[in-house]
Amino acid sequence: MRTLHLVWAVTWFNTKMLLMSEFFVLTTFITPLIFATLAFFLFQLGGGQSGQTLLYAALGSGMMGVWSTTLFGCGGAIAWQRWEGTLELLVNAPTRYDFILAGQTFGAVILGFYGIGTTLLWGVILFGMPLTASFPLLLPFALFCAVLSLGALGMLIATTFVLYRHANALGNLLEYPIWLIAGLLVPLATLPFWVRPLSWVLAPTWGMDAIRGAALGRDIGTPLFAMLMCVVLAVIYYVLSRIALRYVLYKARREATLSLQ
Amino acid sequence: MPATQPQPAGAPPKGAAIEAIDLVRTYRTHLGVLRRKKIDVEAVRGVSFAVERGQLFGLLGPNGAGKTTTIKMLITLLLPTSGTARVMGFDVVRDTTEVRKRIGYVFGGDRGLYDRVSGWDNLKYFAELYGVDPALQDQRIAALVEMVGLTPRIKEKVEGFSRGMRQRLHIARGLLHDPEVVFLDEPSIGLDPVGARELRQTVKGLVDAGKTVLLTTHYMFEADALCDRIAVINDGRIVAEGTGADLKSAVANRTIVEIETFGVTPDAVERLRDDSDVVAVNTEERDQSEILLVQSDKGAQITQRLMGLLGDTRIGKVVTREPTLEDAYIDLIARTGSGDEAARAASVSV
Repeated sequence: MRTLHLVWAVTWFNTKMLLMSEFFVLTTFITPLIFATLAFFLFQLGGGQSGQTLLYAALGSGMMGVWSTTLFGCGGAIAWQRWEGTLELLVNAPTRYDFILAGQTFGAVILGFYGIGTTLLWGVILFGMPLTASFPLLLPFALFCAVLSLGALGMLIATTFVLYRHANALGNLLEYPIWLIAGLLVPLATLPFWVRPLSWVLAPTWGMDAIRGAALGRDIGTPLFAMLMCVVLAVIYYVLSRIALRYVLYKARREATLSLQ
Repeated sequence: MPATQPQPAGAPPKGAAIEAIDLVRTYRTHLGVLRRKKIDVEAVRGVSFAVERGQLFGLLGPNGAGKTTTIKMLITLLLPTSGTARVMGFDVVRDTTEVRKRIGYVFGGDRGLYDRVSGWDNLKYFAELYGVDPALQDQRIAALVEMVGLTPRIKEKVEGFSRGMRQRLHIARGLLHDPEVVFLDEPSIGLDPVGARELRQTVKGLVDAGKTVLLTTHYMFEADALCDRIAVINDGRIVAEGTGADLKSAVANRTIVEIETFGVTPDAVERLRDDSDVVAVNTEERDQSEILLVQSDKGAQITQRLMGLLGDTRIGKVVTREPTLEDAYIDLIARTGSGDEAARAASVSV
């Protein structure tokens, strides 16, 4: 109970901090709208004018925003804390650092998913997109599983930010390729076969499949399997991030990198 | 130095509150861009001391002497390259969580706070991280805010706080979980005189409340007024340890002749140094003048001779006084430091 209270408190505090960053607000709420607008026009040019195609594009655009938010919220926040001099205080608190990191990460990811909502609203208002779902009761669970897996992946990525002060360069590098590899805008089937194993180990792939499956799918098996994969990946990412954190925190104490700006 | 056995988690620890035994810390850094060359810098070279419970222990030393590195090893932020250290009986390398539960630390300066939220929100967040019972958090924060005198402004964003207010907020943060041992690393840096005096009262209050405090400071009068024991660290080594009176006793038989000069030449200062009755000469640069601090075993009787040695130099006020802790400190640094530090100690800009 104490742990849940702690994670919630960290999540809430970091959500508040992120909402005070103009750059983050722009990334989270405005950028997906621009992606969605571009996608709507591109799909229309390609002849896909049906409501389902628009919803497909809107969800993909929203998810692109979620991924950007995850990278910025997890990595950027740590770089920011390093700059503010609070990273040392957090790492040195008597609380387990993975709980703190989890709270920070989920704060960012949850805000990112709020961006999906604004994208859908944008599609409805400007493009007349119908807001329907094949399995409406499954959709909240699909969203939850996607948050879980993206949050855990964010934690794993964030461990590198704790150690290396210039790791935000890695964060920037990961943004666009994952949009492609995870099939957020272009279906995975259109990508070369050798890319697919990479897609399978990425949370956004399954998160996207779960949400699109619940919203647009024909059989319930696809979103259910994607949700299961989200949970499995979340567990794997969390275990890996725990192992990585032990090493990273030891190395940071040995090499005195926590206070470097 | 007696070493206590490590205590199992949760067991009441015995012995000194803080023990450092032959602590060494080396940093690896690089030179050059294309042909990078690794070099090892020894920041701390075998530091040993012990702080008894309830004691206020001062660690004095010039910039780069190894004070902050020593503190960072003691609070588990850095691993020692060699040597051991214990806080309340717990090893700082192995028992990090136990050590962290028992310590609070405050670093001087502007960093270490979330500027965009209020002081209260900062404290609330850290109270959570430091494991303060949620039911007691508000009460505890309110009491600490009152203690550091921030009550009227605590709901404002930290970005609008003055340096003194930030420093007081840092102190409140460091005490949130009621730690047994408090590390204060140059807490009065940048504070105005009133703020510094309030801070000293706060620090004294901590010791009165039974806490063990390790304080680093550049202000000798602060150390002299507050500390039960003082260690002087220079070039990564403890060069003297004792009470303020012990340290002053090294220069107790000396007299300090303070001579205000206007445009004194290095040659004139050298002539003073070469005098057989002069032990040391330090210069303080002021805006329009210099103060020569001449240490001598001969009392005030050499004053006339010193003025003669200064030749044509224009002389202002001349004062003879007893040595202070600062004189003892400067003497120690000049005697024990590397060439650069000795030169800096001999010529202090004010």
